[in-house]
Amino acid sequence: MLKSEKKSLFRFLALYTMMVIFMIMLLSLFYYQSQEKLMLSDQRAMLTKYAYIHTKRLKVLHHYFDERTEYPRDPRFKSAIYDLEYMKIFSLLEEQNVRFDEEIYIINNHIHLVKTLDEFYLGAKYLVVEVKDSGAWRGDIWKNIIGYGFLALMFFMLFGLYFAKMFLKPMRDSIVLLDKFIKDTTHELNTPLSAILANIEMMDTEVMGEKNKTKLARINIAAKTVSVLYRDLTYLTLDHEKGNQDEAIALKELIYDRTEYFSVLAQSKHLECNLDLEEASITMDRRKFTRVIDNLISNAIKYNKRNGTVGITLREGMLVIWDTGIGMKEENIPFVFDRYIRFNESEGGFGVGLSIVKQILDEYHISIQVQSKEEEGTRMVLRW
Amino acid sequence: MVKYIVMIALSVSGLYCQDAYERHCVECHQELPTSLQEMFKRYLLVYSGEQNVKAGLKHYLKHPLKEISVMDDLFLENYGVKEKTTLSDSDIDEALDSYWNKFKVFNKLK
Repeated sequence: MLKSEKKSLFRFLALYTMMVIFMIMLLSLFYYQSQEKLMLSDQRAMLTKYAYIHTKRLKVLHHYFDERTEYPRDPRFKSAIYDLEYMKIFSLLEEQNVRFDEEIYIINNHIHLVKTLDEFYLGAKYLVVEVKDSGAWRGDIWKNIIGYGFLALMFFMLFGLYFAKMFLKPMRDSIVLLDKFIKDTTHELNTPLSAILANIEMMDTEVMGEKNKTKLARINIAAKTVSVLYRDLTYLTLDHEKGNQDEAIALKELIYDRTEYFSVLAQSKHLECNLDLEEASITMDRRKFTRVIDNLISNAIKYNKRNGTVGITLREGMLVIWDTGIGMKEENIPFVFDRYIRFNESEGGFGVGLSIVKQILDEYHISIQVQSKEEEGTRMVLRW
Repeated sequence: MVKYIVMIALSVSGLYCQDAYERHCVECHQELPTSLQEMFKRYLLVYSGEQNVKAGLKHYLKHPLKEISVMDDLFLENYGVKEKTTLSDSDIDEALDSYWNKFKVFNKLK
């Protein structure tokens, strides 16, 4: 399974699982509430009967008050009376917290029925009847919710997995086809490109006329530009899937090597190379650091003015690549690392170079700072 | 002579020791067959809470009407509706507070 496919499948399943869990929780909540209502409606009949009996007793007490002051008690339930202003007149409740906005409710393992009296015996408008809630019904509900919920979750997960694979199959086929095509194409490009570059190197320029030398230099530049593009494409399609082979890289030598490689490009624009390199090293994959350096130097050359300068400053923990080129508008700087973003169409490319750079630098926790001024130039500062 | 002065002084001071309820209500109600406590219970039966009972009583004292009386028809036929009160609001309030405190159910049940 491809990395991107795995990612899509994982994302889909994560979202799907969350939705299924949410749905099951919602259904469980409805089920719980309906069962609670069912239980309360069973209790309501009994509590209403108790309330009726108690009201009769209150009526008698009201009549004989204050010769008799003993509040009526019943072993089957507890009760309390409240006046119109919700003031407690007398209470035998174990749970003193009474809600007057509901007729029947459960609170801290007690069931309360709040009965509004038609005649306010002893000034009582509300009669609260309380019985203990054993909670046995709750245990049964939880068993059902957990049991059926788990079965439903399993069923939906299998269902989701099957559907995800079914839906992803066409995408997978397309990706595999496209990937295979790109891999084959890039592979086919490698041989002729290497042959062109090797043969340019081998050519004896001593015996050439000036015109031919210029033509050869142009071929060299074109081949190297295609080579950078080829390596970016190879990196995107093949290399970044491979594991890293980190090693301590002596940066000074590597940068010399890469500037040497790009020297023909720089000469074609009559650029001056300003190298200020000190010994420095970094531990990372050589191929990846080469991609970073190549892209930054190639951009510094591509977007430079004729007779401009390309500078590279290397210190321990810091690398600066700067140019005196066309620069960028300040508002474009935040988008410079977005893939397929190109602010200048005059030069070739797909706009993937800096996106690769950012991807690699992020992987190795290297910061990159872009300082640019239009018509003055750009500075890329890397710190690690 | 001294004996009379002491007796008058005692009776005057006794009068002023009484609160508004005792001064203005008890005397007239003593002649009625229904006690003030029974009447209080009737008010409780209709008005329930303290503020509501006091407001109902105050309104009846100021605007006595057969239709809004808590007493039964037989009582009203025999004794009629009371006369409109001449007491000030503060006196009524004071009398009602005493009346409530004297007969309220709160803290009396066991």
